[in-house]
Amino acid sequence: MKGLNVVLGGAGLAVFLALGEAVPRLGLVKEAYFPPTSRIADALGDEVADSAFWTALGDTLTGWALGLILASCAGIVAGVVISVVPYLREATASTVEFLRPIPSVALIPLAVLLYGTELRSVLLLVVYASFWQVLIQVLYGVQDVDPVADETARSYGLGTWARIRHVLWPTALPYVMTGVRLAAAVALILAVTAELVIGAPGLGARIAIAQNSQAVPEMYALIVVTGLLGLLINVGARTVERRALAWHQSVRGEVMV
Amino acid sequence: MRRLLAAVAAGTFLFAVTACGSSDDGGSSDGEGSSGGVTTVTVGLIPIVDVAPLYLGQEKGFFEKQGLKLKLTTAQGGAAIVPAVVSGQYQFGFSNMTSLMIAQSNNVPVKAIANGIASTGQGGKDFGALTVKKDSAVKSPKELEGKKVAVNTLKNINETAVRESVRKAGGDPDKVQFVELAFDQMPAALDAGQIDAAMVVEPALATIKSQGGREIASSLVDVAPDLTVAMYFTSTQYAQENPELVKKFQDATAESLAYADAHPDEVRQIVSTYTKIPPAVLEQVTLPKWPAEANRASIEKLMQLGEDDGLFKTTPDLDKLLS
Repeated sequence: MKGLNVVLGGAGLAVFLALGEAVPRLGLVKEAYFPPTSRIADALGDEVADSAFWTALGDTLTGWALGLILASCAGIVAGVVISVVPYLREATASTVEFLRPIPSVALIPLAVLLYGTELRSVLLLVVYASFWQVLIQVLYGVQDVDPVADETARSYGLGTWARIRHVLWPTALPYVMTGVRLAAAVALILAVTAELVIGAPGLGARIAIAQNSQAVPEMYALIVVTGLLGLLINVGARTVERRALAWHQSVRGEVMV
Repeated sequence: MRRLLAAVAAGTFLFAVTACGSSDDGGSSDGEGSSGGVTTVTVGLIPIVDVAPLYLGQEKGFFEKQGLKLKLTTAQGGAAIVPAVVSGQYQFGFSNMTSLMIAQSNNVPVKAIANGIASTGQGGKDFGALTVKKDSAVKSPKELEGKKVAVNTLKNINETAVRESVRKAGGDPDKVQFVELAFDQMPAALDAGQIDAAMVVEPALATIKSQGGREIASSLVDVAPDLTVAMYFTSTQYAQENPELVKKFQDATAESLAYADAHPDEVRQIVSTYTKIPPAVLEQVTLPKWPAEANRASIEKLMQLGEDDGLFKTTPDLDKLLS
């Protein structure tokens, strides 16, 4: 089954790449504006040979990872506190719903005003966007706690901390993992976007320079790199999720009674 | 499970520590710092041909001679540079004149202190032009009435320039439909017929020409003969507190501009280090002029036109902006 999936995935990719080669070659779009796959691959080869590319990749990954860690920690802590403290959830609900849909990109002028075009600007945008992904999942996860289990823990005299550790956390963990996985993708998008728009060093800034320079194949090569990064991050996040939830029914695949 | 979590925790901790370390390094050189008589200043630039003199001046040691070390950072445009200069994240920045005048008329505390670039002043041989597609019927800017014309930013210098070209050709600029499009997207949009004309600058201009596109006007030349298109600026506060540093920056920049103007080959060479302009295109690129001093008369003309077109809420105070 897994082997078949890999074959199908590979075939899909091959067709996609062949289309990318054929469409410009057949003149459906102009080669000058959308180069065929082979030229993008050439440009990608040149990029990979350039040390500045690896520095940019490192910058992007730093922004992504730091942002994701900060957002995840903050999201988990805030989510648990909001759920555990009485009335806090009701009191914050409208504020959360007000803040959550604000696009991170709209905060770019604020980020630049505060931090210039350094890493911290990227972090502000990344953390803002991914924090809500985690927070919302934690809130749902905590809501999912079995009241009977919670009452049982209470009657056994478990304190607040022990109940968070043994009842709330295991229930919320699958949700948290989903939140972190979503946040990982959002964080990458925002890291690249921030670099693209603000010009903070990284892959996004390189894409912007290639755009301004009319270096079309190089631009697409860099875009391919961001796509590959996204793919790797998703695979990585799923692996972590499976490992961390090895005990959970959704992963074990059997019904718990 | 517990071991995995511990490993992840240790890994993230290590990562955070090293990452913080590297960002700290960035932080200390970030603002302005001096050591051994050398002051480091951060300059916000756009990664285009226009700012080549600073890269060249840095390489030739013109700034070092004045006791300045430049930290050149690039941003996508004035929207990112102006706030960073005003808040002191950067000491200097690069911006076009209309944006600076709009900022000044809105009481944003900026001061233009050194010349940036000027148009070549020669019609048909400028670094920016109003262009149409190879087989377009449009021969004169006057015929753009009712047509779609792309500019990189609405209500800014390029729109003013196109309007002046249309006016000079005897047309009514109010009848032109302006749309906003990034320079780099203009060649494809023009080719595909999504727009009828594009006000474009290098290197996109070279791309359009290589696709057979035609120039119908050198709009920046139409505004004023030797139009000062952009300048380097700082915040009023920084200019008041550090007059000597600003003077040094002005002197070094003037020397760099003169050098760049006299050595086009070296300019093309240095441009290839901070942009990705393909060598074949770079050879075709028309370089701007880099006079050491700004041309006040041309800026006044640009302001007058901008005012006629309703760009400013209040009249910009050029004495405040330029002195």
